[in-house]
Amino acid sequence: MNAHHTPNELLTSQVARVILDDDLAFVGVGTNGRAFTLAVGIPLAGLRLAQMLHAPGASGYWGNLLEPDLSSFPEHLKQDSLTRWKAAASPVDVGYKCDMLARRGFDVSFDSGAQIDRYGNLNITAIGDYARPKVRLVGCLAQPEHFAFVRRPIVMMDLDRRSFVEKVDFVTSVGHARDGRTRQEWGLGEGGPHVVITNKAILDFDTPDRSMRLRSLHDGVSLEEVLDSMGFRPTIPDYIAITPAPTSRELQLIRQEIDPDRVLLKV
Amino acid sequence: MKSKLFSLDDALAPIRSGSSISLGGSLLRRPPNAAVRWLIKNNVRDLTLLTWAATTAIDLLAAAGAVKRYEGIYAGLFNFGLAPNFRRRVQEGAIEVRDFSETAMVARLRAASQGLPSLPIKTLFGSDIALKNPEQIKEYACPISGEQLLAVAAARSDFTILHGYVGDEFGNVQWPLVRDSDDVDQMMAAASSRLIVTVEKIVPHEVISRRPALTYIPGQMVEAIVEIPYGAHPAAVDGFYDEDQAHLEAYVEASQTDQGASAYLDRYARQALDHSDYLRLLGGLAAVEKLTVEREDTWQ
Repeated sequence: MNAHHTPNELLTSQVARVILDDDLAFVGVGTNGRAFTLAVGIPLAGLRLAQMLHAPGASGYWGNLLEPDLSSFPEHLKQDSLTRWKAAASPVDVGYKCDMLARRGFDVSFDSGAQIDRYGNLNITAIGDYARPKVRLVGCLAQPEHFAFVRRPIVMMDLDRRSFVEKVDFVTSVGHARDGRTRQEWGLGEGGPHVVITNKAILDFDTPDRSMRLRSLHDGVSLEEVLDSMGFRPTIPDYIAITPAPTSRELQLIRQEIDPDRVLLKV
Repeated sequence: MKSKLFSLDDALAPIRSGSSISLGGSLLRRPPNAAVRWLIKNNVRDLTLLTWAATTAIDLLAAAGAVKRYEGIYAGLFNFGLAPNFRRRVQEGAIEVRDFSETAMVARLRAASQGLPSLPIKTLFGSDIALKNPEQIKEYACPISGEQLLAVAAARSDFTILHGYVGDEFGNVQWPLVRDSDDVDQMMAAASSRLIVTVEKIVPHEVISRRPALTYIPGQMVEAIVEIPYGAHPAAVDGFYDEDQAHLEAYVEASQTDQGASAYLDRYARQALDHSDYLRLLGGLAAVEKLTVEREDTWQ
């Protein structure tokens, strides 16, 4: 790890760089602890950072809020802070958001789960047998929609052998291929996970068969350490880049303007 | 107009074991928990539950062993983690689960609202949500365009129970001006066969009729309306009160074992005489009023 930035600051700058001007990004609201940092904290900080730098036209959909005000964040997120959150619009029910998803209105989404496989199939539903699982998880929310319809879904997960597996126990959201059939052969259009941002490396699907490939290693992390943290071997390019460090301008914005109290990037 | 104002006992009396029930609310907003405690106290069991993002309501019923089948988009406790009792029952194989993604559940509710057997979506191709549920999700070719689509079965249920903000005796239920719209309660009302609504407060019809556009559940759809202040506790009603963090933490702690969950239900659902007694167990109105948030509405 580079002494000049924290791991979460690195991930925030990586998220910001995936967001383009005029993108509409879908961010979830739930969970706590590290899962909150990955699903909500880093995505919101990264979106705000992109807005402040190269993507002034980028906006978010958070909860059921379109273009939420991301200028501050309370230390404890209770219902009333969500109720009074400022935003351009809060559509009358969630059906609007579902319609926007199905009509491909979103450019970016943030997704994480208990398991992901080589082709980016994601499981947030159950570990083990579906009818009598070892661990029952939360279900699916709109994650199948994200992988079906969003242009560039960003997966945020810490690298772990139990999470990066050869075959997920339950395909909640369909990646680029499953059981030998491509997503198109299954009936889906363009989409699927675009990039996988982890605590040790960045991975993507820029391979002929759209399986996972190592894009870059975070500074100080070895290839061996990454492979030890994965249950399958991704494609390794001839030349492995180092994930670019956040710029001093990015760090200044994150620390002084976006998350001065370390609420978003806490753990 | 006919009054539809009932006691909780009378409103819920038609619900028998084996019924299917759509439960409203989303995450920690407006789950109909007072009604759920009534179902537990009255030993109503073998339920099929249809939900959006379900939290406390489904977990309480799961703790009571009252859930036979669940169909929804999410069952957890939001920022309090996984739903401990629901999770345990599913892992034991005691609850039959059918997961649906958000566009699927919305299509199911819209189909029921329109009296249709199904509506199509394009989301779940290749997903185990569809592959494990061939009875309710079926592929077909659109007769107009030839495109492959997935038909999802209408979300029909015997009863629908929602917890709302404020209503009148005729069953008209209104939104406050500032609320959290991240739910499908309005859609569930439209899809209902027999709709029971509990509300924080009953106000005179004159107050409701001044601003009819704020009525999101028309009394026309409602079978019974019941006044239950703090009816979503320990969850929140947006614009009225926040979730009870200490109570939820204690609930999660108690729910680590069957015995703990059962002791919790004995105290708060089975032995409590009614909702007033429940509030008394919490320390009375003074205790729950601490959860109150600033209100911004048109009824005061």
